Amino acid sequence: MKILVAVKQVAALDEDFQIRGDGRDVDPEFLLHDLNEWDDFALEEAVRIKEAAAAPVEVVVVCVGPERVDASLRKCLAKGADRAIRIWDGAVEGSDAVATARILAAAARKEAPDMLFAGVQSSDQSHAATGIAAAGLLGWPHAAVVSKLEYTPGAQSAVVCRELESGLLHEVEVQCPAVLTIQLGINTPRYASLRNIKQAAAKPIEVWSLAATGLGAADVGETGSASRVRRMYVPDKGRAQLIDGDAATQALRLAQIIREFKAEAP
Amino acid sequence: MLIDDLSRSDTVTRILFEAFPIVEVRLFYALGYGAIGIFFYGVYREIRKYRRGAALMLGNWRARTGAMIASVLDHRSIDRRDPAAGGAHRLIFYGFALLLLGTATITLEYDIMEPLFGIRFWRGEFYLVFSLVLDVAGVGLIAGLLYMMARRGWMRLPKLDYARPDRVLGDADFERPQYRREDWAFLWGLLIIACTGYLLEAARLVWLQQRAEVWQSRWWSPVGAAIAAALRGAGLDARGGGLLRHGLWWFHALLALAFVALIPFTKVKHMFTAAASLLVRDPLAAQRLPRVPETAAQVGAQRITDFTWKQLLNLDACTRCGRCHEACPARAVGAPLSPRDVILSLREFADATLQAAVLPAEARLDLHGKAPGQVAMETLWSCRTCMACVEICPVAVEHVPIIVEMRRKLVEDGAMEPLLTKALQTIQKTGNSFGESRRKRGAWSKGLPFPIKDARREAVDVLWFVGDYASFDPRNQKVSQTFATLLHEAGVDFGILYEGESNAGNDVRRVGEEGLYEVLAAANVAALGVATFKSVVTTDPHSYNTIRNEYPDFGGRYEIEHYTTLVKRLFATGRLKVTKPLKYRVTFHDPCHLGRFNKGYDAPRELLALLGCDLVEMGRCRSNSFCCGAGGGRIWMADPVGAEKPAQNRIKEAATIPGLEVYVVSCPKDLTMFEDALKTTGNEGKFVVKELIELIREAIPAAPSREVAA
Repeated sequence: MKILVAVKQVAALDEDFQIRGDGRDVDPEFLLHDLNEWDDFALEEAVRIKEAAAAPVEVVVVCVGPERVDASLRKCLAKGADRAIRIWDGAVEGSDAVATARILAAAARKEAPDMLFAGVQSSDQSHAATGIAAAGLLGWPHAAVVSKLEYTPGAQSAVVCRELESGLLHEVEVQCPAVLTIQLGINTPRYASLRNIKQAAAKPIEVWSLAATGLGAADVGETGSASRVRRMYVPDKGRAQLIDGDAATQALRLAQIIREFKAEAP
Repeated sequence: MLIDDLSRSDTVTRILFEAFPIVEVRLFYALGYGAIGIFFYGVYREIRKYRRGAALMLGNWRARTGAMIASVLDHRSIDRRDPAAGGAHRLIFYGFALLLLGTATITLEYDIMEPLFGIRFWRGEFYLVFSLVLDVAGVGLIAGLLYMMARRGWMRLPKLDYARPDRVLGDADFERPQYRREDWAFLWGLLIIACTGYLLEAARLVWLQQRAEVWQSRWWSPVGAAIAAALRGAGLDARGGGLLRHGLWWFHALLALAFVALIPFTKVKHMFTAAASLLVRDPLAAQRLPRVPETAAQVGAQRITDFTWKQLLNLDACTRCGRCHEACPARAVGAPLSPRDVILSLREFADATLQAAVLPAEARLDLHGKAPGQVAMETLWSCRTCMACVEICPVAVEHVPIIVEMRRKLVEDGAMEPLLTKALQTIQKTGNSFGESRRKRGAWSKGLPFPIKDARREAVDVLWFVGDYASFDPRNQKVSQTFATLLHEAGVDFGILYEGESNAGNDVRRVGEEGLYEVLAAANVAALGVATFKSVVTTDPHSYNTIRNEYPDFGGRYEIEHYTTLVKRLFATGRLKVTKPLKYRVTFHDPCHLGRFNKGYDAPRELLALLGCDLVEMGRCRSNSFCCGAGGGRIWMADPVGAEKPAQNRIKEAATIPGLEVYVVSCPKDLTMFEDALKTTGNEGKFVVKELIELIREAIPAAPSREVAA
């Protein structure tokens, strides 16, 4: 039995960041990288299934990214993944969610898992598309925003609860293999102690070239993408303003603003 | 005259087996050997138990022995915070020791010297003087025992209550009445042995009243002689005395032999285990935690056998005196932790598993859980590692390393509060507990009208290790700016490490995340390694402790001091001068890591005196200071809603000082904790919480041109 977990190393903005010269992304100098929070829950779910299963289950994490993502993969290995695969090629640079999904789908075909887990979305790009696009490319059933999962490795189907708006839950049975995108809160991810992480360094990270997935340069990068970033920018200041002065002055000004708004309203 | 003559005569001696049929003498010897046999079996069983613990090498035995003997002889550790108990224990200890010595001397003569060499010395003056000394020793012993009984029976001291904060009524090991029975059996046993000794002596005098050398020297045993006079007054004749003596002799002897046999099986063993524990004491037990060897297959203590033999011995040294129970800040606010009960639980567990002839299966050795003898996760996470327990323990039990060892295992298993998990992940990621960018570490200095040197780029005299709270917490940033200004005005050549500095790791280590601690310590040692400086100063006692006591294990040896001693020197050398003496009525809170951990009690007090403040001490001060509740990583965990927090308990104590104006702290975490507690206890407006640095600033008003920019 095998569960493949697609993970991503996301970027967070450091203080006083700057936009890259071409205006289409943040200058990488100002990015702090870490494992995507949703993927942490997806991995935890896979590891819990493995730990609860009677038969041996292999949890494999797969990530599309350059060498720096090894740090996050090592964390995944520390948390209980058995193997880690990193796929990279210069041509992959600039891939959007669909192009990335193409690579992940190719990896899934090669690994032939019983399940493919991904996070609902990534915290930096928030497309919420990669996992579902991979399902489409694989032709597998899928369930998005899974907040509860009943699955026994080797079973023909799994029962999932999906979070809908207004607190509704959607209980669905899906045929396996399937792609599930996992929602935050489905479990409590474990802590990977520094010692676990160091020990995980002994587990190898397999590095695959693009060719190893059977894809060509045209399938990925900007040419293989379904979308193109035009620009990334900080919008002009909104209407928020800071009211200075002591409490009395502030209250006076606040009341004045409210009156102005009321007067504007029909 | 007559006594003098008698005392020089060989005929004055201790009456031993006189008038005993040979069968009874033989029976006594048989019982004696039996008791000694049981004693040695018990000792063997205990030593086997300790040897099942992990290995540990100790050195420096000569100094250790000297310190142990001094501590045992003068009772310094037992006197602390309970001089009455110390005095009573001293009476029991010396009374018992002298009586034991007396009995041993008799054995030496009767069973060894005389049969082997024909030497007898237990006679004449020697006998009479010894007899007097032993009579007085017996009085001391009985007086001490009576006081201890009064303590248990009438004074009802809370620290002697065995109800556990980590169990609930109805749990099998909630109150442990067997401990109470054992305490009383010990006291009564000794008391009856002592009293029957006197009665026996008196009966013998009455029995042998016709024998001049016995009767005329009787006042050398004043207590026995007085009782003999009373017995005679009550009509006891020589024959009756002889019968009484025979009966009492056996009663006394059997009790005494039973006592000897039971030593290794009861709390009486503390005569040996407490001394041994003092012998293997580590003076830096809480200040410098043990490293995890690179090659260790696992981290922390999961099984009882993961503790070292020394820690297993520590468990056996505990006499349930309750001083740690009384001192523990977690226990004081009702958290499910008593250091005493951690120790007793583990001891029960060790006895149940490791005293057996065959070591039980591994599964049975798991310490973590709620079954009798196990220690629950909530208990371990309640600890502030404030060292109050280690510091007050009269028999050198080292609770903190034991607790941290068990926490290391919990961290490895991820068995901790989500908030703590988050904090550790944040530190892993950013090197600080605030989750701020590394680049922002020195940002607080931007508001100053002068630049602070980057010690990584230019040489400085003094390197200031700022620490997380002083760098990132907005309230503490103001204090940092003030301290920087003071140093600047005093002309101190100083600098900081800016983003080269990481969380010092003191609390990370005490949480039990040793791997992360190693990374932090290595990063800071490396950052300090590229800087050029003469000495390190820190405003954070937590950083101070780990850099001073633990970094040397990671190759970082520096001359380091807390700011209070540096500022004191600046005043002494005239580089700072009080221009506006403060007339505040203040009290001072000793930070655990400055006070108990590193004995920095005096500098802050001397500074307060220099500033002109009227210092009124709280009841719990100096070594008995009461932790603010933030230590041991508790700063990253939530306290139970509704329950009193240690900081609130402390503020309430300060609030009882009439006319208190300022509650002075000298630790960034204290400032945060107590300003919060001041508000939540409703004491806001009555007095204020201030960092000592702020008072110093107030007493040295800056020239307007040098005012710190807002």
